[in-house]
Amino acid sequence: MAFLELTHIHKAFGGAAAVQDFSLTVERGEFVSFLGPSGCGKTTVLRMIAGFETPTAGQITVNGRDLTAVPPNRRNIGMVFQSYALFPNMTAAGNIGFGLTVAGRPRAEIDRRVRAMLELVRLSDFAGRYPYQLSGGQQQRVALARALAIQPELLLLDEPLSALDAKVRAEVRGEIRRIQRELGITTVFVTHDQEEAMSISDRVVVMNKGAIEQVATPFEVYNYPRTAFVASFVGTLNRLACTVVDAAAGTVRHNGAVFATPAPLERPAGAGVVLMLRPEELRLGEAGGENRLPGVVTSVQFLGAIVRVQLQHGETPITLDLFNERQLRLPEVGQAYTISFPPHACWVMAPNGHGPSDDHP
Amino acid sequence: MKRANWAAWLIVLLGALFFLLPIYGTLDFSLRAQKGVLSLKAYELVFADAKFLETFTFSVQRATLTIVFSLLLIVPTAYWVHLKLPQWRPVIEFITLLPFVIPAVVLVFGLIRTYSRPPLALTGSPATTDLLLVGGYIVITLPYMYRAVDAGLRALDVRALTEAAQSLGAGWPAILLRVVFPNLRGAVISGALITFATVIGELILAVFLARPAFGPYMAQLGNFRAYEPAALAIISYALTWASLALIDVFARGSRDASQAAAVR
Amino acid sequence: MASLAEPLPAPAVRVRLQFSWDWLGLVPFGLFAVAFILLPSLTLFSGSLLDARGRFTLDNLAGLNTPVIVNAYRNSLSLSLLTASGGALLGFGLAYAVAFGRLPRALRTAILTFSGLAANFGGVPLAFSIIATIGRTGFVTAFLKNEAGLDLYGLGFNLYTLPGLFLAYMYFQLPLMILIMVPALESLRREWREAAEGLGATPWQYWRHVALPILTPTLLGTVILLFGNAFGAYATAQALTGGTITLVTILIGAQIRGDVLGNPGLGYAMVLGMIAIMAVCLAAYSALQRQSEKWLK
Repeated sequence: MAFLELTHIHKAFGGAAAVQDFSLTVERGEFVSFLGPSGCGKTTVLRMIAGFETPTAGQITVNGRDLTAVPPNRRNIGMVFQSYALFPNMTAAGNIGFGLTVAGRPRAEIDRRVRAMLELVRLSDFAGRYPYQLSGGQQQRVALARALAIQPELLLLDEPLSALDAKVRAEVRGEIRRIQRELGITTVFVTHDQEEAMSISDRVVVMNKGAIEQVATPFEVYNYPRTAFVASFVGTLNRLACTVVDAAAGTVRHNGAVFATPAPLERPAGAGVVLMLRPEELRLGEAGGENRLPGVVTSVQFLGAIVRVQLQHGETPITLDLFNERQLRLPEVGQAYTISFPPHACWVMAPNGHGPSDDHP
Repeated sequence: MKRANWAAWLIVLLGALFFLLPIYGTLDFSLRAQKGVLSLKAYELVFADAKFLETFTFSVQRATLTIVFSLLLIVPTAYWVHLKLPQWRPVIEFITLLPFVIPAVVLVFGLIRTYSRPPLALTGSPATTDLLLVGGYIVITLPYMYRAVDAGLRALDVRALTEAAQSLGAGWPAILLRVVFPNLRGAVISGALITFATVIGELILAVFLARPAFGPYMAQLGNFRAYEPAALAIISYALTWASLALIDVFARGSRDASQAAAVR
Repeated sequence: MASLAEPLPAPAVRVRLQFSWDWLGLVPFGLFAVAFILLPSLTLFSGSLLDARGRFTLDNLAGLNTPVIVNAYRNSLSLSLLTASGGALLGFGLAYAVAFGRLPRALRTAILTFSGLAANFGGVPLAFSIIATIGRTGFVTAFLKNEAGLDLYGLGFNLYTLPGLFLAYMYFQLPLMILIMVPALESLRREWREAAEGLGATPWQYWRHVALPILTPTLLGTVILLFGNAFGAYATAQALTGGTITLVTILIGAQIRGDVLGNPGLGYAMVLGMIAIMAVCLAAYSALQRQSEKWLK
């Protein structure tokens, strides 16, 4: 049986539905991210799990216990907020020990646990500091320690890294994942940053407008997106409007060129489809695969490890990513190239945004 | 939480009773100058009294002088401190808090004792006593004026605006006139209106410096007449209310304790 | 472009003394402060520490220990303490109702507007309104006597004593408390309450461990503000009681009109005592402000 079960959760504010028919199961010890744009309902679902909002319909079960009607202070769920929400009148130690203090635990036990938590987040020397004396990253780690000190069954994080600088963000992100693995605690992480979600999650729940678009591992979400929304929200995407030539053979036509795609297509010959390609699967020159497309370079961005080349093919912009190499000669604006890519880099969707993803091994 | 709500309503109701009953009582009393019938007779008598107009005009004029000189003093100073001398900020702020430590009675006591003997004799003539009066008013309203202007300046990026103006060729007078004052419109209006409300009703300075202001007039009338003081009270409340309402209209004013001036 | 092999030319180093005339900009304000604040204060200080012939003496301060003056200080202090704490307690209740009572938005605005108004009331108009309400012939007095059979004055209530002053002072103390506390209560971040709840705290535990400690500097600061406000008030007491109740401010006022104590130095000494008390208030208030600002950065 799954550890966390959300069954047909609905939430409406006034007349508007913020969350619609949301169902999800999370296994014990799993790290799941809710990913989506602002307003997609991900924070609302999280707050319902925590108990700060009540679902209009549906059920929430944790470890077999129905929590739908239980008030938040009896759910034994740890929560980390975007704004840290550390109590300004207490030191780091005071904050971390708060859950145990209100539970009436003996002083010695509280001190022991606080020390262990501080060590876990690597802030042992900061026990006596007040929140205003701590940096953003340090405050967030104290907030994490505070949530974990009560040994919750579930850990919820609401965009915990949004308020941090880019560099600190990566560090704290790694810390969170390390600690989660060490403790084996079931975790739900809400974010709008797809790099964040993909890099640390076991599974990603992509949401849009209050509903789930796809639940899958990061690899699957990136390479086999179920809908056009997921495809374009996660990573950069090239889209080419094509028409089906031969559905059984899986060939499509774009202007003059014909491309081979890996599987039989569902739409008949002559139907309009959208061909999706990831920038990193395209090559400059003919060595990339049997599909060919001419283009003219319009811009070259050196991003460090990646060189991002923008080309124009007629009306269509194409983005192509190259790995950096020291002896690389960067393409120049105005140069004409042949872009090539293998059939297995293609996937095809119906124009309305939905389409079967290919079978994959 | 439906439970909590009726408790809140009850508390608010009790509070409203406490505060609104006296105003109602005053209003009611002011309308009963003519026996047995509600009339505006008391108000008519007040407006017909020559001394009413005299003292009211006097106070309005002194209030205007106070506002003008206060702004001329405070705005450039606050601007200069923000821009060039931030290390002096605590000192200036401390000085603007001193009027809290010096109640009006103490202030007027000090002013009289200091300036009633040669070589600094200023209590001899009406004009020079007025100087003391206006100076005293500026002192009393200093905390509120300064806080309003300071808050307004903090909301602007004073340094950037000044540098932009300078790079476009503006000198100090132009900067003050065209950049600083216009952008402080809200703070200036708010401070001016508080000052106005305070000066109109001010009693202590005016009485002890023996000047014919509106406050002493209200106090004296209470000794002789029955209904007119009620009308005057209502008029004075209306004036204060109008001043505060105007602040809302002009200055998107935030309602905070800085609007409680010392009229006590 | 210089190659990496050649050293860069050394920058010319010039030491230039920067003499700044900037402080001149403070002269107008400084002159004003000296003329109207510092000089009068100095006069008061020196007047209280010098005798009739200009020699330093502590006799004036010792002379404060007369029954009249001691009584005045006792009255002022007790009135200020009572209205400050009463205003704080009742005002907190009102502020809590406004901040958390889920009242309609318009009502909240109206209450805050009225508080801004009432905090400015005082002096003659207020005294008159109070008298018109529960004076001997006030309409509430009459109402209670006629409708409820409650004869206030028969029972010994007298408006023109300290209890009456207490009521009048509450009229402007309560609104001041509301004006300060409502924003302070509303500044308690929702996430603090939620974080506390998530960690297992009951609402009472949240208030006890988190909200009240955070609010304490503001609360204490406001009590001090109310105290200072009441201590320095003159016009309301004078208008209501005609000077029959001796408060320090009333006594100082009488002293300005003429030497009622038989010793000019005493007047100065009273003032000195008053300033000392207010200065302590101000210092405590500033310290509390700084504390709360530090936490809530």
